[in-house]
Amino acid sequence: MSRVTVPIGPQHPLLKEPIALRLDVVGERVVAAEIEIGYVHRGLERLLQGRTFQQGVAVVERICGICSHAHTTAYCQAVEALIDVDLPPRAAAIRTLLCELERLHSHLLWLGVLSEAIGFTTVFMYAWRDREQVLDAMELISGGRIAHGANVVGGVREDVSPAQAREVLTMLRQLETQLGLYQELVERDRSFHRRTRGIAVLSAAQVQAYGVVGPMARASGATLDIRRSAPYAAYGWLEVPAAVTNEGDVWARAWTRVQELQHSIDLCRTLLSALPAGPLARRVAERVQAGEAVSRVEAPRGELFYYVRSEGERTAARVKARTPTLPALLAMAELLPGLQTGDIAAVVAGCDLCMACADR
Amino acid sequence: MHTLLTLGELLLFPGLAYLVTVALLLAWVDRKALAVLQGRVGPPIYQPLADLLKLLGKEDLDTEGSDARLAALLPMISLACALTAGLMTPVGNHAVISFEGDLMVTLFLLSVPTLGLFLAGWIVPSVYNMLGGNRSLLQYFCYEVPLLLGLAGPAALARTWRLAALMSAQSAYHWHVLAMPVGFAVATLGLIGKLERVPLDTPHAKAEIGAGPLTEYSGRKLALWRLTAWVQTLVGINLMVAVYLGGADVVWPYWGFGVYAVKVVGYMGGLALVQALYARLRVDQVAEMSWRLLVPLGLLQLAVTVWMGA
Repeated sequence: MSRVTVPIGPQHPLLKEPIALRLDVVGERVVAAEIEIGYVHRGLERLLQGRTFQQGVAVVERICGICSHAHTTAYCQAVEALIDVDLPPRAAAIRTLLCELERLHSHLLWLGVLSEAIGFTTVFMYAWRDREQVLDAMELISGGRIAHGANVVGGVREDVSPAQAREVLTMLRQLETQLGLYQELVERDRSFHRRTRGIAVLSAAQVQAYGVVGPMARASGATLDIRRSAPYAAYGWLEVPAAVTNEGDVWARAWTRVQELQHSIDLCRTLLSALPAGPLARRVAERVQAGEAVSRVEAPRGELFYYVRSEGERTAARVKARTPTLPALLAMAELLPGLQTGDIAAVVAGCDLCMACADR
Repeated sequence: MHTLLTLGELLLFPGLAYLVTVALLLAWVDRKALAVLQGRVGPPIYQPLADLLKLLGKEDLDTEGSDARLAALLPMISLACALTAGLMTPVGNHAVISFEGDLMVTLFLLSVPTLGLFLAGWIVPSVYNMLGGNRSLLQYFCYEVPLLLGLAGPAALARTWRLAALMSAQSAYHWHVLAMPVGFAVATLGLIGKLERVPLDTPHAKAEIGAGPLTEYSGRKLALWRLTAWVQTLVGINLMVAVYLGGADVVWPYWGFGVYAVKVVGYMGGLALVQALYARLRVDQVAEMSWRLLVPLGLLQLAVTVWMGA
């Protein structure tokens, strides 16, 4: 059989963001894969260098349309470490609440994308419908569905009133009933299993070798979770359960995320039922003392790492983000060869790539 | 006078105009039913017509390196074959053309669009078209046998390959689906494969190969391919209703048509339900299901039917 090159992307129905996969296919089997990224590089890290530290929050928020709050959280934490200010408890709790809501909508989005990739449009419609509720809740709290503008250096801008808390709790209850459906889908639906079980198995050794993080790593048996290993914001007071399984296939990635949906709902409940009183933010000076700091948060896709350097000016000397998509991309390049063409969609969607994060 | 009547039958009812209208309505039923099942609002009733008209008015591009004349000819031949098949399947309790063996001819005519689709994919120098066309042909070898086996059961029982006779053999509500549920299921899955619907829609799996064999097509050609698919759906369902679900059941023409219409819409709803409930199968899984499951089941049903009937 002849060897043909199937281009997937930079524009393709499978992809939500531009990335180019060039797959060499013989018959229905992929024999070689090449990945090209950089289509959504906007030079945001360079842009940060001319901005004050407080202005930088608005820039990092626009790195990603899904995990925007994780980016601002990581960035603010790094700057806060530089100026050595401690976060007020209420600010920590609200930051964490938004982090968990963000994880909820990100995981639901992912479930929808995967389902659509395997032709299971009903699950796609359900997951994205339920995701809207979470976005509504985030809008209720922060005023923004995608860019929340909730974080500032030194705390948060948006308070959660008791009425808002009640409304979010109602939303969580509704979401939990829907969640039963997704759990059943992952545990029992044979149609779903046929397309996800045993496909693109990522071994624990590969997780180590590529530094894969987040749900993808936890689906391959790694217990890696920054919320547990290096608690930040309010995670120190909370008990974050681990959703770890050893299968390492696309199914395991779905299982891990569905478990985490439940965990996130529980964490949001705990936070909302006992929001600490106190100020929302500390006043901080515009000029930041010279030095460098790093910070890590568990974004929905895994560990998000920020490096910030100040030279004693009002503006940042260097800001660098390492996003969880990068190792996932490297691992994916190894997973693709040997697959059937029919499984490419499930694998690419299953890796939960965020190109806007990776390219910046 | 007779010629005029025949012309009316061919062009108006139950020929071209009727088939196209009902095919468009049925496409709406399909989309609306799926939307309701998925918790969406769904399109308004004129949407398939609007889609068709809009596509007809769009620029019709010829892909460089493909045979323009063949590309234009293939959808016309396919649509003509699907419409001709529509003349043989009973609408209500009347078919324009009816003769011993019309079931086989209908099936043959319904295979032509598949071969046309394969060629349409093959002549365009694009990998998506080529892969889609290949899959179309591969799937053809998977569903055709189960479909034929599934339809052979009732034919063996009624000892006829004529659709009208098959329908009258089910009079007094002795529907074949009650006697041969396994054969009905096998034939339905075969039909789903023929119509390239979820879970057997690998030839145009959007997330894998775009629109498959039709990726590079636009304008009138794409509109005709769409229409072919819709007419094929109508004719396929007509066939199943006539062979398995008793057709029009009653002889009185107006009631008969109503009963038939309800069955067609119900069957379409069933296909939409299947689409809502399952994920797409992979190419190898389609082949496996077809040859390891559907063909043995179809043969078993046929053997039991022949043995019982003897």
